[in-house]
Amino acid sequence: MNAIIAVIVNVIFALLYAPLIDGVERKIKARVQRRKGPPIQQTWYDILKLFKKEEIMPKDATKSIFISAPFMAFLSVLISYLFVPTILPGALYFYGDIIVVVYLLAFSSIAFFLGAFSSGNPYAQVGANREMSLAVVEEILLAFIVGSLAVLNRSLMLNKMFPLEIKVSSIILLAFYLVVMYIASARVPFDIAEAEPEIVEGPFIEYSGKYLAMCKYTIFLKRILLTSLFLNFVLPENVLWRTVGYVIGVVVIPVVLAMIEAHMGRMRIDQAVRFMKRLSVIGIFAWVISLFGW
Amino acid sequence: MQDIKRVIEENNGKIVVEHDYFLLVEVSREHVRKLARALFEAGAYYSTGVGSDERPKNGFFAMYHILNHEESKKYIVLKVETPEHDLRIPSITPEIEGANWAEREAHDVLGIVFEGHPEPERLILPDDWPEGVYPLRKDFKYNEKVKPVRKEEKFVEREDALVLPLGPFHPTLHEPEYFEIYVDGETIVGARYKGFFVHRGLEKLAEGRLTIHQIPFVAERICGICGYTHMICYCQAVENAIGLEVPERAEYIRTLLLEIERIHSHILWFGVVYHLLGFDTGFMHAWRIREKVMDSAEILTGNRKTYGMSLVGGVRRDIDEDKKEKTLKALREVSQEMKNLFDDVLAMKEILNRIEDVGILPKDRARSIGVVGPVARGSGINTDVRKDHPYAAYKYLDFKVPVYNGCDVLSRYLVRADEIFESIYLIEQVLDQMPGGDIMVERFEVPEFSVGVGATEAPRGEDVHFVITHRGSKVYRWRPRAPTYNNLPSVPVMLEGEHLADAPAIIGSIDPCFSCTDHVTIVDDSTGKILFRGSLEDAIRRLKR
Repeated sequence: MNAIIAVIVNVIFALLYAPLIDGVERKIKARVQRRKGPPIQQTWYDILKLFKKEEIMPKDATKSIFISAPFMAFLSVLISYLFVPTILPGALYFYGDIIVVVYLLAFSSIAFFLGAFSSGNPYAQVGANREMSLAVVEEILLAFIVGSLAVLNRSLMLNKMFPLEIKVSSIILLAFYLVVMYIASARVPFDIAEAEPEIVEGPFIEYSGKYLAMCKYTIFLKRILLTSLFLNFVLPENVLWRTVGYVIGVVVIPVVLAMIEAHMGRMRIDQAVRFMKRLSVIGIFAWVISLFGW
Repeated sequence: MQDIKRVIEENNGKIVVEHDYFLLVEVSREHVRKLARALFEAGAYYSTGVGSDERPKNGFFAMYHILNHEESKKYIVLKVETPEHDLRIPSITPEIEGANWAEREAHDVLGIVFEGHPEPERLILPDDWPEGVYPLRKDFKYNEKVKPVRKEEKFVEREDALVLPLGPFHPTLHEPEYFEIYVDGETIVGARYKGFFVHRGLEKLAEGRLTIHQIPFVAERICGICGYTHMICYCQAVENAIGLEVPERAEYIRTLLLEIERIHSHILWFGVVYHLLGFDTGFMHAWRIREKVMDSAEILTGNRKTYGMSLVGGVRRDIDEDKKEKTLKALREVSQEMKNLFDDVLAMKEILNRIEDVGILPKDRARSIGVVGPVARGSGINTDVRKDHPYAAYKYLDFKVPVYNGCDVLSRYLVRADEIFESIYLIEQVLDQMPGGDIMVERFEVPEFSVGVGATEAPRGEDVHFVITHRGSKVYRWRPRAPTYNNLPSVPVMLEGEHLADAPAIIGSIDPCFSCTDHVTIVDDSTGKILFRGSLEDAIRRLKR
């Protein structure tokens, strides 16, 4: 029963918090660029505004897929929150392990991909291609992490992993996870699938109104989910310290990532894929030493 | 100098006017092609071409091919005449690729047929413009209206590649132009350009109802970024046509403002390129620094843009000591801040990877298309109107012309970066050396049918204005040619075989100014026309192989 209350609180927290922290990130980026920047509630205003606006249906779209894709993506990320605790410890661990979480994240990428392809817009197709190339490599990197975690904990259950034991391999793994998290949250230089000046928001080009709001919301939720997963790996089990640590972490990490983002230019898709392939060497290394039990 | 004259005379050209700035050469229809070829081989490139209806004078139509021969510091104007009943001139496009657009434009507006032209298609008139109506002929009234004819728009579908429309409205372009890009996965296999959407009746308006002193202000409004260079270019064309000497102080003031304009235009370009490469922080900082240049322009002229400072014969307002100090202070800050920004960006690997070895334009191809400005200098061509045809005060000043041999986007980037600092150095010299005296020649006579060529180095490259004067302080023919007119045909060459992700940076690398290019035409509304079909077909053939 406690777990269910915790899950409800956690999901509500994530829903409220994800757009708000994006507003903070925008403010920080604006300051780095010596702009005043919008108020931090701006992302919330944008989402609410989009929900009120009318939707425009592209002529060539496969309507059913086009409409359902944003909801599929949104729900798959939302369901992940059932297994990953945010502000309160406690989740439905019994129903899902880390593989489910990884699959749900991949599913949200696939949903965007399907929606983009069904829109019939050439820019969306190029964007979807890029999204998929990135997702495939991301999956490989995540596979290394999951593999190493399984070896480390002799289990795939999330509650056994929170927090990770301090070992050489787990530290390498966490550093590696941070990089993958940065890539998966579609930040510059890895916002290649959207790339506004190149392919005009790519997969989302034809979306408008509440569908666009869902797409944006999904990305914000995904970012907070990945951040929470990281914090769960490192935070202690003591409820008080965990909560304090979580609140600090969930503010500091996005802010740091936003600062990094403001100092970057965009990569090209082949450069990004090459970069991630090189990264996978670290993944193999972490996995091998975790096999030795270090 | 003697060499080029010998080449002209050996190929049956007759030098009729020998000016410090240009040679007016009359040549018959039979010999024009051979002469053009010989000049090209002697090192000249095709700058622009102007058609003119001279029936009121002598019953002939004339085509002026303007070639730039940097070595002898002269523009060579080839004049070919043709009678009204036999409107045919051999095309020189098979000899010099760069003549393509100019000849098609002359056909559109005057109806001169260029025999042997490889793509005799409509260029600047819209598809719904009726056949056989030629707007720049003298018997066509400037306020005449024509009835549009409906035509089906052609859209070329391809089975082997995905068609990506880049424009007419696209966040990369900021102006209504249309690139149709054919992609296979992420690789560009062909590109098609449709342009000339934004037309004003500038030339016809100038010939029809403006006087010599009104046109500078129209000319300045050709471009929203580098308008002053058009104004000066026009004034110089008229001054060359009537043989007018401008006071030295006026020359210095012109130089000062031209360089201010170059700095702000280049910084604007850097901002845009950083944005295209996803580096928005650089974009914001570049434009923040640019504000200081805009403020200096405001201090010096009263306006941030569109200075309204020049007339034929000089400049309209003087510059006092107080303004000098403020300008120098602002420019020192700009210099320091731009240096920091460039250093920071050059340390960013992901940005360099995006522009190095991307958008290759080989030197020989660049020369035959006749690209100008930073695009040419980035392909290893040492050309700069300020050095080759010194105008205003550049003959008294010391400056370097940066040339890079990379032929890629990075080279064009570096050329512009260096030019900002050269421009600041130039302004320091100008403010230091500026002599006193008059700033304007008020009285002068305007002879009839006198030909003048004016050229300036605009931020984007060589800007050429061609003027034929008329009685009553009017112009008989005025043709402005913006640098993008020459640079744009090189874009499909740069795009082929590149990644789609690089297309915006490549198109951006020529610093395109579409409206400048379009303004030289006469119509209100258009659907454009197929260009570069040749390169497209080559691409298909290559794919099938």
